[in-house]
Amino acid sequence: MDLLSRQGLRTDGRRSGELRRIRCKMGVFNQPDGSAYLEQGNTKVVAAIYGPHEIRTNRAKAPNDSAVINCQYSMATFSRSERKRRPRDNKSAELTLHLKQAMATAIKTDLYPKSQIDIFVQVLQSDGGNYSVCVNAATLALIDAGIAMEEFVISCTSSLANGETPLVDISHLEETMGGPSLTVAILPISGKIAMLETSQRIHINHLEPVLTEAVRGCRYIYENLNKIIKKHYEEIGGALNWGTEEYNI
Amino acid sequence: MSLVSLNEAEKVYIIHGVEENFRCDGRSRQDYRPLELEMDIVSNANGSARLRLANSDILVCVKVEIDTPLPEAPKDGKIEYFVDCSANATPAFEGRGGEHLAAELSRFLCLAHGPVFNLSKLCIVPGQSCWKLFVDVLILECGGNLFDAVSLAAKAALCNTSLPNIVGTYEDGQNIDLQISDDPFDTKPLEASDLPVLVSLCKIGNSYVADPTIEEEICGAGCIVVSVTPKGNVTAVLKKGAGSFMPDTLNEIIMSGSHIGILLNKALNETLIQDMSSNVCKQQYGFLK
Amino acid sequence: MENRIVCVPGQRLCRLDSTHTLGKGTYKRQDYIYSSLAGIVNVDNTNNKISVVEVLSKDQTIVPAPGDIVTAMVTTLNQDMCKCLITSVCGHELNETYRSSLRRQDVRMKEIDKIDMLQCFRPGDIILARILPMTEAHTFKLTTAENELGVVIACSEYGHPMTPISWTEMKCTKTSAVEYRKVAKIVQDNADENT
Repeated sequence: MDLLSRQGLRTDGRRSGELRRIRCKMGVFNQPDGSAYLEQGNTKVVAAIYGPHEIRTNRAKAPNDSAVINCQYSMATFSRSERKRRPRDNKSAELTLHLKQAMATAIKTDLYPKSQIDIFVQVLQSDGGNYSVCVNAATLALIDAGIAMEEFVISCTSSLANGETPLVDISHLEETMGGPSLTVAILPISGKIAMLETSQRIHINHLEPVLTEAVRGCRYIYENLNKIIKKHYEEIGGALNWGTEEYNI
Repeated sequence: MSLVSLNEAEKVYIIHGVEENFRCDGRSRQDYRPLELEMDIVSNANGSARLRLANSDILVCVKVEIDTPLPEAPKDGKIEYFVDCSANATPAFEGRGGEHLAAELSRFLCLAHGPVFNLSKLCIVPGQSCWKLFVDVLILECGGNLFDAVSLAAKAALCNTSLPNIVGTYEDGQNIDLQISDDPFDTKPLEASDLPVLVSLCKIGNSYVADPTIEEEICGAGCIVVSVTPKGNVTAVLKKGAGSFMPDTLNEIIMSGSHIGILLNKALNETLIQDMSSNVCKQQYGFLK
Repeated sequence: MENRIVCVPGQRLCRLDSTHTLGKGTYKRQDYIYSSLAGIVNVDNTNNKISVVEVLSKDQTIVPAPGDIVTAMVTTLNQDMCKCLITSVCGHELNETYRSSLRRQDVRMKEIDKIDMLQCFRPGDIILARILPMTEAHTFKLTTAENELGVVIACSEYGHPMTPISWTEMKCTKTSAVEYRKVAKIVQDNADENT
């Protein structure tokens, strides 16, 4: 099976530059300070934020002037087509570190000294690009929690088909079929890269087009999420009477 | 586990309210909070259900696999329960924090479903192959009364499960190779409407309440969880928490639990039947609603 | 909602110049003001020379910072210091308590060596205190060394609430027994705010 057919269609019917359908909802749960649900195609992720609150883990090593960010990435046992035995294992631990690294670039930790922000991400259904969807869901949840961030952190994946055409937002089938895959997390407005990871070998000549495609995918996701969040806040703001005299902070 | 702490005045208020049969949210002692159930949430599982009981959010998925039966029970299939307390529910569940609760829940579910669930339905070829069901429970948010919510969701997911049909067997001497149908709609539903449902009754002051909230669980002196089948039979009883019960009170509580269990089962069955009959143009909401 | 601009984190709001300054929920980067929260942009024009650009958002979680006046509850006591739980900051109640400690020498300004902690606080008292500047320590350090800081609500040994008589004594409302505390001097105008 080819990743890209002769008509230019991928295995799920998309063109090489198309992303999967994005649907999201903010404020899914009551108990966490912020929560969000995001699905890109068939990958569904739920993120919850607790904080800022008192530091619970490792108070001795806590920096005095900024917040500690604590992440956990876990996959449900039923998320893949084959049942996974344990929700959290070594691979999850590695992705947890990457998640922390990506989110720490954007959160303004100096506003919350001596406190801890918990980011918990749960993958409900996995169909490729898990890490990317988790980063995007975590960004939405942080905004929902009201934690000050410099800007969004958006992530996207891309790959190479037939040795020459870059594909954006790859699914699980495309990940496992053998092509190299690249995951990048960027801060869209400043254009900086927060996290970059590739698997397998990519020829140096191909690196630039694949990276550009991934960044373009990130920008597309950013614009979509931007619109959705603004609409959400316009509805909430209207209901809560923001901006009027009675609202006292 | 919970982030809620109550002071003396709040506890006294709750206890007085319960004695007068008027709880903090206006319910009587036997009333349940509103329940929302949605099926078929996860598309790559054989059966799934999501239940929202006020603030508690539980997602249950059932997956099936072909396995060999145990030598001492060649005509029985297998069923395995796994509960995962996600850190989304409380930061205390991070890492291995929720393991105790998870172990207790999965053990008691197994105990409760054991006497009722007829494992021989899962048998394909006696002694050679059988179905193994994996029931995976994911706790996304804790709003009190986890046992009830988990058991309702698990029963709904099992009722929603359908086993793929076996279309052919290839016998090669001792080995039998099974061919499972490729058609996703060629399935046989699992008969699970006899499964019991857990009812938690929490003792507060001198009376007991069903469906306790987190605050009521904290003020309570002890909790009895009763597993009740649709006919009213009790399959398992568990006592949680520190607090003791007189034998007469215990009897009373179990009888009361049995009555509540019959009503709960009836409501669940009606919902499931309604859901299955309106299969034609069902709109999928998932978490988006 | 008339003409309110809804902004998201990272959105550029306006140019940073002599007539606009940063308010809450914003940060500056390269001569422009950017928003760091999701909410509504509000330009505060009360001061004629400078308008403050800020972002109004829903209630956020507040973190105690040095210099804030906090309400805390005393949990344990020994001769050197007492441990407290900070329950609210500047009048805003926190979702979760923060641990803090109050050292002996920060209880009051005069006669520091003669302080007996048992005569200043008891476990269960609610106190008003100020957070000291951060040091290397892991917990917040509090001080009550001002007239308006100290015990606000306390219960006597017999379990009844007490009212203040002087700055070192409180009287039980039921039994009229007098107990020693370091009492906060609450100015009459703000009496409602502090209950």
